[in-house]
Amino acid sequence: MPTANPSFERLLKKGDLIESPSEMTPDYLRELKHTLLVSGDTELISAPAYYLAAQRAPSINAFMTGIAIIQDELAHAHIAYHIMEELGDDQEQLIFSRDPKSFRYPYAFDVPLATWTELIVANLFYDQAGFCLLGDIHEECSYGPWKRGLNKVMLEENFHLRNGRTWSKRMAQAGGATRDELQQAVDWMFPLTVEWFGLPDSIKTHSTQLDYRLKGKTNDQLRQWWLSLVVPFCEEVGIRVPAHKDGDDYALDYPFPCTFDAEAKRWDFDDPCGWDDVLKRWRARGPRNAEMVAALQEEFHKFRSTHVHA
Amino acid sequence: MPVNIVDLGIVYGVRRTDGRVMVDLTFTAMGCPAADFILEDVRERLLREPGVTEVVVNVVWDPPWTAARMTQAGRDALEMWGLAV
Repeated sequence: MPTANPSFERLLKKGDLIESPSEMTPDYLRELKHTLLVSGDTELISAPAYYLAAQRAPSINAFMTGIAIIQDELAHAHIAYHIMEELGDDQEQLIFSRDPKSFRYPYAFDVPLATWTELIVANLFYDQAGFCLLGDIHEECSYGPWKRGLNKVMLEENFHLRNGRTWSKRMAQAGGATRDELQQAVDWMFPLTVEWFGLPDSIKTHSTQLDYRLKGKTNDQLRQWWLSLVVPFCEEVGIRVPAHKDGDDYALDYPFPCTFDAEAKRWDFDDPCGWDDVLKRWRARGPRNAEMVAALQEEFHKFRSTHVHA
Repeated sequence: MPVNIVDLGIVYGVRRTDGRVMVDLTFTAMGCPAADFILEDVRERLLREPGVTEVVVNVVWDPPWTAARMTQAGRDALEMWGLAV
């Protein structure tokens, strides 16, 4: 732990909650803000990512469900940014004046969700990943205001999972072209979500977030938790996924990591790569990064320039 | 939500004629994002009852739902969940 503040360390070890910046060390504050930024950016960017697909909803009711999920995501983003503001950051600057590449959200959202089916699989896989990551923070988080805010966030995430599970079950049972379209989305989105949890523990051997109780599980433990939730469900409804139960854990049926063609939405399981290659792809961001951030930022600045007093 | 639809006060009536069940149901809002899930759950659950072969759900808006239609058990459940009712 990069802090030399014995009373703060004692507080953390005891399991006490930190309630205000005056109790924090500078290192803790920096790590907390980074964790909040990733959470806020992920929730925020999921809104334009989901909106592209929600517009293709097959009914008014389905459209309302999609829009309600987007509304939840924006509210969840707002919680994280609001806490950052209380910690001294400028919320407006964070959302509207940052460079697109500096947004810290999973690469998966940069690959376009172009159909209702892909939104369903996003609710099934991406929201389940969000549920695991936030659930872990909710359980372990040492910062009181965020931990309490997550009480509500976690309940709302269940609704998103329900949309993913209900529709994917329905589409799998429909068979034919409907089922094929679902399977096609699963084929590119499953490995992308496996990757979501980051470097394996064998490479990432130390986590300051764990030291500070900003999370409780390692990357591999979170990945296994996610697999244990999605693989049995997919098997039950007849969706093929490249993973299987192996003892107490789940094993992947393809080399991890391997290369991904974002434009074609295709993985090459015959072309394993190193984590340096993955990190390079993540840092370069994917097809929709600039467009989605611009969609959020452009109108804000346009409105400001023409409505100075609004 | 941790509350059943009867305690939520959205079931206005249930009638049964032989194997056919008719349900009058409303939603807490016209834009209820869970409308499809609720309709599907109602049909699926009633079809599991012995002798039920057909379920017809009428979505009605009169009288409009208000929180006053909830039972005490429904209120307690939602308050536990963090919603003020």
